[in-house]
Amino acid sequence: MVFMEATHIPAGTSVPRERVFCVRKLSKTYGSGSTTVHALAGVDLDLFSGELIVLLGPSGGGKTTLLNNLGGLDTPTSGELYYRDLDLTSADESELTRYRRNAVGFVFQFYNLIPSLTARENVGLITEIARDPMPPEEALEMVNLGARLDHFPAQLSGGEQQRVAIARAIAKRPQVLLCDEPTGALDVRTGIVVLEAIDRINRDLGTLTVVITHNAVMADMADRVVHFSDGRVQQVRENSFRVAPQTLKW
Amino acid sequence: MLPHLDRKLWRDLRHMKGQVFAVALVMACGLTMLIMARSLIFSLESTQEQYYRAHHFAEVFAYLKRAPNSVLEQVRQIPGAGTVQSGLSAQVTLDIPGLDEPASGNVRSMPDYGEPELNRLYLRKGRWLQPGGRREVLVGEAFANANQLQPGDQIAMLLHGRRQQFRIAGIVLSPEFVFESRPGAALPDNRTYGIFWMPYEELAYAFDLYGAFNFLSLTLEPGASERTLMAALDNLLRPYGGRGSYGRPDHPSHIRVSDEITVLRVLAFAFPLVFLSIGAFMTNAVLSRLLALQREQIAILKAFGFLNRQIVTHYLKFALVMVSLGTILGSVGGVVLGRRLVQIYHNFFRFPTLEFQLDRSALLWALGVSAGAATLGVFNSVRRAATLPPAEAMRPEPPANYRPALVERTGIAHLFSHTFRIAVRNIERKPVQALLTIIGLALATGILIVPTCIREGLGAVLGIKWDLNSRQDVTVGLVEPSSARAQHALGQLPGVWSVEPTRTAVARIRFGHRHRQIGIQGVIEGGLHIRIVEENQREIPLPKNGIVLSSKLADVMGARFGDELTVEFLEGRRLVRNVPLLGLHDDFAGVTAHMEIDALNRLLGEGDVITGATLSVDQARRGDFLRALKGIPSVAWVVIKESIRENFGKTTAASINVIQSIYLTCASIVAFGVVYNNARISLAERSRELATLRVIGFSQREVGAVVVTELVILALIAVPIGLAFGTVLATTLITQVSTETVRLPLVLSPANYAFAVSVVVVASTLSGLFVLRRLNQLNLVGALKAPE
Ligand SMILES: Nc1ncnc2c1ncn2[C@@H]1O[C@H](COP(=O)(O)OP(=O)(O)OP(=O)(O)O)[C@@H](O)[C@H]1O
Ligand SMILES: [Mg+2]
Repeated sequence: MVFMEATHIPAGTSVPRERVFCVRKLSKTYGSGSTTVHALAGVDLDLFSGELIVLLGPSGGGKTTLLNNLGGLDTPTSGELYYRDLDLTSADESELTRYRRNAVGFVFQFYNLIPSLTARENVGLITEIARDPMPPEEALEMVNLGARLDHFPAQLSGGEQQRVAIARAIAKRPQVLLCDEPTGALDVRTGIVVLEAIDRINRDLGTLTVVITHNAVMADMADRVVHFSDGRVQQVRENSFRVAPQTLKW
Repeated sequence: MLPHLDRKLWRDLRHMKGQVFAVALVMACGLTMLIMARSLIFSLESTQEQYYRAHHFAEVFAYLKRAPNSVLEQVRQIPGAGTVQSGLSAQVTLDIPGLDEPASGNVRSMPDYGEPELNRLYLRKGRWLQPGGRREVLVGEAFANANQLQPGDQIAMLLHGRRQQFRIAGIVLSPEFVFESRPGAALPDNRTYGIFWMPYEELAYAFDLYGAFNFLSLTLEPGASERTLMAALDNLLRPYGGRGSYGRPDHPSHIRVSDEITVLRVLAFAFPLVFLSIGAFMTNAVLSRLLALQREQIAILKAFGFLNRQIVTHYLKFALVMVSLGTILGSVGGVVLGRRLVQIYHNFFRFPTLEFQLDRSALLWALGVSAGAATLGVFNSVRRAATLPPAEAMRPEPPANYRPALVERTGIAHLFSHTFRIAVRNIERKPVQALLTIIGLALATGILIVPTCIREGLGAVLGIKWDLNSRQDVTVGLVEPSSARAQHALGQLPGVWSVEPTRTAVARIRFGHRHRQIGIQGVIEGGLHIRIVEENQREIPLPKNGIVLSSKLADVMGARFGDELTVEFLEGRRLVRNVPLLGLHDDFAGVTAHMEIDALNRLLGEGDVITGATLSVDQARRGDFLRALKGIPSVAWVVIKESIRENFGKTTAASINVIQSIYLTCASIVAFGVVYNNARISLAERSRELATLRVIGFSQREVGAVVVTELVILALIAVPIGLAFGTVLATTLITQVSTETVRLPLVLSPANYAFAVSVVVVASTLSGLFVLRRLNQLNLVGALKAPE
C-alpha cells in the first residue's frame, strides 16, 4: 500500500518551513490567593508546518494546559499566542469554534468517541461540518480500520477506538493535529499501531503534529523534542533523523 | 450536627435544586387540586350541615292548591312525621325602581307571631317584620344584591293582580334558597327573580287563602321511612290539590349544592391522580440518574460497612424531601385557590357565612399519597443499587451499548443526519426514560383538553338552548290559566313581532315503577320559538297525540320511543291518562316534557287554555315593551333571554375562566417540569459526549440541536397520545357529570386541540431553552480527562 513505505526524511529538509504557532511569554494561572497554580509560566515556542513534535515532561508540568491553549479549548492568562495570523488570546467563542472546526484535529487519552455513533459515523460527524474533508472511509483506511466501519465504540478495542479518534481528527485535513497521551491507555503493541497512524498522517498530509507523552522512548520518532516542566520549556532537542514507530524500543 | 450522610444529602440536593423544584412543583399541582377540592367539599358540606341544623331545614316538602289549616292535624298524625310547618307560597310580579324589565318572584308567608318552626331565616341586614306590621317584606339576598336593594327601600308588587307598595324591612337568607333560582330554570337570574317573605295574614288576604295553606314542610321522626311518609302525605293531600311531596334529594336548592359537591369529588380524585403519577415518574427519573452517577459512592459506603437499609433510606430521603416540598407548595396553592373559589361560590350559593375551611385530613392524605407515589416510583431502583455487591458497583457502569435504531433498519438510514441518529439511538437505548417523558408530556397535553371542552360544551348548550330550542326573546307566565284573549293582549304590546301560546301543566309521569314530577309544556306545532330537536340537532315536528321527553329523562325512566307512559296530572281535574312517547328531545339543561298545546288541553279535559306565552320582540323597542309589560296585571313572571345571558357571563363564565386558568397553569408547569427534567438528565448523562462535540468543532447551537432533536422527537410522539388521552378524559368527565339538572354535549373542536398543543409546545420550548443555557457552562477541558 502506498502509505506503508516508511521513508526516513531528515528533519527540516523537505519544504521551506512555515511558522504555524508563535508562543511568547505565555502564562496561565488557575485559582487565586493561596491556591494559585501557575500551570504555564512564560512559555516561548515556535512550531512549524509539517513538524512532528513530542512534548515530554513530568506530571503536572503543564503539557495538557499548553496543548489546550494551542487547540483553542482554553485561553491563556497573559502572553502572546498566534496561530498564523489569528490571535488566539483575543479570539471570541465563535472564532475559537471556527478555528477548532477547520484547523485543529484532537486526539485524547480517553478517545472521547460518541458512543451512539459507529466508527464511520463518528468520522462522518466531522466531515459533515468541515470545509474540505476526505470521505470517512478513506480516513479510516488511513488508520487501517477499513474493516471496522460499522462497529459501535463499545464493540471496538481501546487501540481501535483510538485509531477511530485519529481518523476523526484527520478526516477534515487539519493544519494541526494535537494528541494528548494518545497511547496512555494502551498496551505497547497497540500503542505502536496508533503511533504509526499518527506518523503516517504527519508524513503524508504534512500536518503539524504535537504528541504529548510520558514515554521518553517516543522522543525518537519526532523531528523536535520539547522538554516541559514547571510551566516552561526547559529544552528543545532536534533529532537528526526520525525513527519509524515500529522500530521504537520500549 | 447532621450525620455525614445527611450532609451529603443536602449537598446533592442543592446541586440538583432545579430538578428537585421541578418535581416538587408538579406534585404541588396535584396536591393543590386535592387539597382545594377536598377542602371545598368539607367547607360546603359542613357549612350546609350547620346551616340546615341551626335553621331547622325541613326534610320533606309538598306544594298543594289549598288546604284548610285543620288538615295539619291529620298531617301530624302520619306515622314518622316530626315537626310540621305550613305556609303560603305565591307568584308575584314586581316593579323595581331602576329595573327596566318586569321582575317576578315567590312570596312566602311568615307566621304572624314568633319564628317559624322550620326553614328559619337568617337576617343579614335590617330587621325582622314587626308583629302586626303591614306593607313590609323581607327580601332574599341574591335578589337584593343584584338590584342593590337596601332595608328601607320601596318596591312595588302585583299581588293577585293588585299593585301595592312595600317597604323592605330586612335582607335575609333561607336554607330553602341557598341557590336562589326560578323553579325549573337551569341558570339563575337573580336580577329578575327573587324570594320574599311577608306576614301570613297579609299574604293570605291578598290571595284569598285565609285559614288555609298551600305549602308544607316537615321533618322526620328518627328512624322513620321517608318513602312511607311521603306516600301517606300524598294520599292525604290529593283532595287538596297536592302536587306530590319530595325529599331533600329532589329539593331544587339542595340539589345544586349536591351537584357541585359531586363535581368536586371527581376533581378531587381524577386530577391529583394524574399529577401525582407524573410526579412519581419524575422522582423515579431523577433518582435513577443520581444512582447511576453514585454507583461508586454506594460501593464505598458499603465497603465501609453501611447497611443496605441505611443506603436505601438515604436515597428515599431524597424522594421525601421532594414530596415534602411539594406538599408545602401544594398546601399553600390549595388554600389560596380554595379561598378564591369560595369567593366564586358566593355568587351562586347563599350561606350566612361560607368560609374556606381547610380539610386537615386532606393535608395528611396529600402527604401520604404523594409519599406513597414517590416511594413506589423509586423503591425498586434504589434497592437494586443498594444490593449490588460492592466490587461490582466499584466498576464504572458498563459502556453504553448502542445499535442502529429501529427506524434506521428499515433501509432509509441514509436520509438521517448524524444529529438525528444520535437522538434516535439515545431514545431507543433508554426507552423507560423516554417513555416517562412521553407520558408526562402526554398528560400535560391531555389535561388541557378538559376545561376548554367544558367551556365549549357550555357554549354549545347555550347556543342550542337559546338559538335553537328556545328562540323567543321573552317568556311570560300568567297569574291564572286564561283564554286566547290574553295572548292577543300580549301581541298588542309595543315592539312585539310574534306571540306563541304556551300551556304548562304539572304532572307525574310514570313508566313501570319509575316516575318523575315535571311541568308538561304545551306549545304550538310548527312554532318559531320553541323547537324540538333530535340527536344531531335535527328539528322534529311535534307529534299530534304523543308526548316528547328529554332523552335524558326517558333514559332515567327506562322508556323508549313508542312506549306508553302514564301521566297523572297534579292540577285541574287531576286526570290520569296514558300517552305514547313519540319523541326524544336532545336538550342539555334540566329535563323537559313537551306536547302539542291542543293535545295537552284535550288530555287535561280543558278547552282553549293558555298559561303563558313566548314572544319575540324588536330589540330597538325593547325598553317600551318592557315598561308596557310591567303594567299588565295578569303577568306572573317574565324571563328575558338577554338578561340571563348577561348574568351567565358574569357568574358561570367567570368561574369557568378561573378554573380554566388553574388547569392552564398546572399543565404548563407539568410540560415545563417534564421537559426540564428530561433535558437536565440528558445533559448530565451526556456532558462528556456533548463537550467532546464542542471540542472537535461543533458550535453551541449544533450541540444544542442534538439535545433538542431528542426532545422534539419525544414531543412529536407525546402530543398525539396526549390528545387521545385528553379526549378520553374529557369524555369520561363529561359523562360523569351528566345529571338531570346539568349535562354537557361533548364538543371537541380543532381549536381546543390546537390550544392544548400550543401551550405544551410553548412550555416545552421555554423549558428547553432554559436548560440549553447550561451548554455555555459545559466544561470542555474536563471532558477530556478520565471519565469520572
Ligand atoms: N482546571 C484547573 N484548575 C486548577 N488547576 C489546574 C487546572 N487544570 C490544571 N491545573 C493545574 O495546572 C498544572 C498543570 O496541569 P496539566 O494538566 O497541564 O499538567 P500535565 O503536564 O498535562 O500533567 P499530566 O502529565 O499529569 O497530564 C497542574 O498543577 C494542575 O494541577
Ligand atoms: Mg496531561
